[in-house]
Formats: sequence, C-alpha cells, structure tokens
Amino acid sequence: MSAAIKLENPLLDKVTINAFIKAVQVTLSDMASTQVQFGKPFIEQHLTPRGEVIGILGMVAMPLRGTLSLSFPKNAILKIVENMLSEKYTEIDKNSTDAVGELTNMIYGSAKTTLNESGFNLEMAIPTVIHGDFKSITNSDGVTLVIPVKLSTNEEFFIGITIN
Amino acid sequence: MFPTTTKFLVIDDFSTMRKIIKKVLNELGYTNIEEADDGATALPMIQAAQAAGQPYGFIISDWNMPKMQGIELLKACKADPNHKNIPFMLVTAESEQKQILEAAKAGVSDYVVKPFNSATLKGKLEKVYARVNSSPATKAA
Repeated sequence: MSAAIKLENPLLDKVTINAFIKAVQVTLSDMASTQVQFGKPFIEQHLTPRGEVIGILGMVAMPLRGTLSLSFPKNAILKIVENMLSEKYTEIDKNSTDAVGELTNMIYGSAKTTLNESGFNLEMAIPTVIHGDFKSITNSDGVTLVIPVKLSTNEEFFIGITIN
Repeated sequence: MFPTTTKFLVIDDFSTMRKIIKKVLNELGYTNIEEADDGATALPMIQAAQAAGQPYGFIISDWNMPKMQGIELLKACKADPNHKNIPFMLVTAESEQKQILEAAKAGVSDYVVKPFNSATLKGKLEKVYARVNSSPATKAA
C-alpha cells in the first residue's frame, strides 16, 4: 500500500529533491559514464534561463501540477553528448537537443518511479526541448526549486522543479 | 549468444537512444542493425522484411513513443504468426510494476529499464538467447 502525500509544499521535501538527484546521478553515470556533484538547491520566484538547451516536461500528479526543466549551457551538454555517444561535438545541433530530450525522459522516468513508490501518482509524459539564447522564460505562475549539478569536468547544468 | 549476423531493428523516437543501443550492439559484434523512429514506422518495416524473406532476428523498442507505443507494436507482432517468434525487448524509462506486468502479459522477451549500462543490455540479450533456445517453438522451427 502506498503512503498518502502529506506535503504542504512538495518542493521543500527531501523525498522529492532526493528522487530527482538520484535520477540525475544514475542516468548520467549509466548512460554517459559521467559523475556529478550537486550544489545547494535554491528557490526562484521566476525561472531564470541558465542554458542554451532546455528540456521541459509537464508533471501531473493530481492535485499537483508542475514542470521539470533541465537547463544545459553549451559546454555542459556538449560534454555529456560526447560522453554518451563517444563522438566529439563543438556546436549544439540535433544530437544535443535530441540527447536533452532523452535525458529529460529518463530522469523523469527514474524520479517518477521513486516518487510513485512514495505515494505520488505521477503520469507518463513526453518532453519538449527548446534551444536558443533565452532572456526569460515564462512557463507558469509557480515557484521553482533549482538544483545546480556540476560534472566532474566542472561544467554545470541545472535541474528546475516548478510546482504550479 | 545470438550469431553476429543477426538482423536487429532498433526503435526509439530519440536518435540518441538508437545510437547508444547501436553502439552497444556494435561492441558485441552486431553490425546488421536497422532503425525506426516510432512503432508506426517500424511495423511496415517488420512486415516488408518478412515479405522479402529477410526477417528481423531481434527487435529492441522503446515504450513511450508519440504515434505507436512500443507495447502496441509488441502486441501487433505477437498477434501475427509471421512475427510472433521474433525476440522482442522493450527499453523504457517505465519501471513500475503495472507496466512490467503489461509487457510480460503481451509476451515481451525481456525488459530493460532506462537508464542502463552496456553490461545490463548485454546480460539481457544473453538471457533472451538462453530462453529462445530452450523454447519448444523455436526448437521445432
């Protein structure tokens, strides 16, 4: 039997944060032989763009609705794609955007399994990838928990969990 | 293990995952690998390969795809006497019990949960080979 959700704000709950941290860690280790370290999470009232390629996925676990975003600066995604495919890339292209889509898919799938075992009821979802030089992102009225992720080669990307 | 001449069909809407699976198959000595980006594009390829007398020897498919999901493709293959004996592996980010049960009921040969590493995929292929070789249907074929 699964436990009921008791959280006032699931963003601040260790279970949620740890599910996404573990999902990122395992996904990058298995699929890209890449080890990562996590920075201190912080809350943002408006999601600030932090990269050229962003994977976005709508999360629904009624009554909760939210968004998972993975924001990759150029150097971080090029390094990850190189590690995933054993091919070196110098510019963001279809390979990078496709990889961000697949990473978003796998990280969400992995976190979803953990969270659903803890009483959430997250549904399947297909990610969207956007690529560009963003000045701002308006995707919801919710606040966002941002978790910085640093690769062992020092490049950094960001997990964003927005709850509407 | 399956002979290195085995003809594979790898299906995923993300080219990254198709490349990763191809890379692992190449490392295992397999080079006869074709790709499809959805179940809806894969099914006619499976039928055409059969009609041409060069059927696939192994299908590896993603579950979650926009037009035709991997589970639907699996069911379509199992419902067709021409394709029902082709080993069919689902590779998916879905690791919940209900999904695994649905795939097992539909007759999946094995199930790989993403993320995975090359050792996991290799181990699953070996398991499927062992199972296929001990199956009376295959021995009789």
